[in-house]
Amino acid sequence: MTRTLPDLQRWMHDALLRPEDADPADAAALLTPNPRLTAAQSLAIYQQSYRLRIASCMREQFPALCHALGAGLFNDFVSEYVRDAPPESYTLYDLGRRFADFLEAHRPDRDAPDREVWIDFVVDLARFERSVFVTFDGPGAEDLPTATAQTTDAALRLNPSLSVARYRFPVAQYYLAVRAEAAPQPPHPADSCIAVIRRNYITHMAPLTASQYGFLAAMLRDGAVPADMTPPWTTDAKVRDTWLRAGFFVDGSAQA
Amino acid sequence: MTRQTIADLPRLGLGLGLRNVHFEHILTHWPDVDWFEAISENFMDSGGRPRHVIRQVADRYPVVLHGVSLSIGSTDPLNMDYLARLKALAAEVQPQWVSDHLCWTGVMGLNSHDLLPVPLNADTLDHIVPRIHKVQEVLGRPLILENPSTYVGFRDNAMSEPEFLREMADRTGCGLLLDVNNVYVTCYNAGADTAAYLDAFPWDKVVQMHLAGHTDCGTHIIDTHDQPVRPEVWALYARAWQQTGGVSTLLEWDGNIPSFGDCHTELLKAQSYMGGAGFQEVVAAAHPTAQPGVSNPVSFLVPQVMDSATSLDP
Ligand SMILES: [Fe+2]
Repeated sequence: MTRTLPDLQRWMHDALLRPEDADPADAAALLTPNPRLTAAQSLAIYQQSYRLRIASCMREQFPALCHALGAGLFNDFVSEYVRDAPPESYTLYDLGRRFADFLEAHRPDRDAPDREVWIDFVVDLARFERSVFVTFDGPGAEDLPTATAQTTDAALRLNPSLSVARYRFPVAQYYLAVRAEAAPQPPHPADSCIAVIRRNYITHMAPLTASQYGFLAAMLRDGAVPADMTPPWTTDAKVRDTWLRAGFFVDGSAQA
Repeated sequence: MTRQTIADLPRLGLGLGLRNVHFEHILTHWPDVDWFEAISENFMDSGGRPRHVIRQVADRYPVVLHGVSLSIGSTDPLNMDYLARLKALAAEVQPQWVSDHLCWTGVMGLNSHDLLPVPLNADTLDHIVPRIHKVQEVLGRPLILENPSTYVGFRDNAMSEPEFLREMADRTGCGLLLDVNNVYVTCYNAGADTAAYLDAFPWDKVVQMHLAGHTDCGTHIIDTHDQPVRPEVWALYARAWQQTGGVSTLLEWDGNIPSFGDCHTELLKAQSYMGGAGFQEVVAAAHPTAQPGVSNPVSFLVPQVMDSATSLDP
């Protein structure tokens, strides 16, 4: 039996994505057995490698979540995820982009009257880890002029790597505890606002108050200090200095 | 300006894969290695440390860009956005050449992140040849393509892999990257003879060679790149070195990656196979393992982000 090249490739890619649906008769018709393996067994080498390869890349991208769930459950979620949303991009960096949304959309309690707290934690941790991962290799301020105490508020621009987010759990603390191999237990719910930023190729995470979060989120939206907002350093002068030293800002006067 | 051909490409000596886990060592010690091969996708979209590192490495060493996502054999259209990014990276690091694999990575807009084999026949050649021409036109340089490790044979195969590669190179002017470990893996899995494979190989097209370790699973061998080069692969290398007159050689080590020094020591073993010790068909020593191996491992491309993340301590 012969197939056109497009048909053959569609068949083989489908067999990788959904091995359980693959008909062994197709493998026997399209592939040659070798002295030690049937056609279906040979195809299974690709099917197994596909699963293991994606799971290992996802474990590298979500190490804290993998710790929280345990590798077995984490791998199961990943299997469902890539079945639902198979990788599209040529770059592995894209692999985890839709993972948090997938976990939220497929939460087992989605129709239950009461949401399970641990699932909220899993979703928040996935979001947080994705932001840390993206910050590592996205655009940064390493080649841009750093803002200083002399930079005017009007010239302040955000470090391109900076992102801020609000979580229902202290996910940064949990992440750092996993990093320190402290085997942390899942935390109790507690709102947290966190900035993630890269400075000199090192990724940092900083806690924010709710109003600081609101200010930085507005700056991210507007690209500069919003005209209608009072910067947090108006009431607490230390904040500006702390954020400058942390590399939150670049000096935009050259491009203004 | 006349375009470069594969005859213009230099002999670089013995090189190592540029890996995230070795960045610190390389930037601190500037080790005495002849050249580096960088995985293009690891650097082409980088706005962070990998790009910063490759710029510095390219200032001091000859660099080759080796891709895993060109998907030259796919029946999906060529990804022109990918090619533009690859071209931009090449303009920045000025590689000695740009390579990828004779394979496809996905169809229907999906990517398996694997290097999947193509049926070896005239129809596939007619599909791939114009695509290679297009890539070479966009990049403005010859493309170098590698024989992949394979685990299946297609009933539609009508020629051997060396025959296919010869015709592909004749029709396009592309060069070949001969991975001697892949030759061993592919031949073992197909029940084919490595000596016959090498007898038929178009040696004049070979620009580079790859060395790597593999995992023997008993019924088949997987190209895991996670251990030293096996003696039977060194034997193939000894012959290939003679036949090519000593083309650029690179050691790939992508899983359980040891220290830079250990990788370099393994690479330098190549010197002892350059003396014309002669080619012997070595019977594979049986080291079956129960571990499920991953072919074409790629997780080494994912940076260990957690290692460089800290809480802010202003
Ligand atoms: Fe290779």
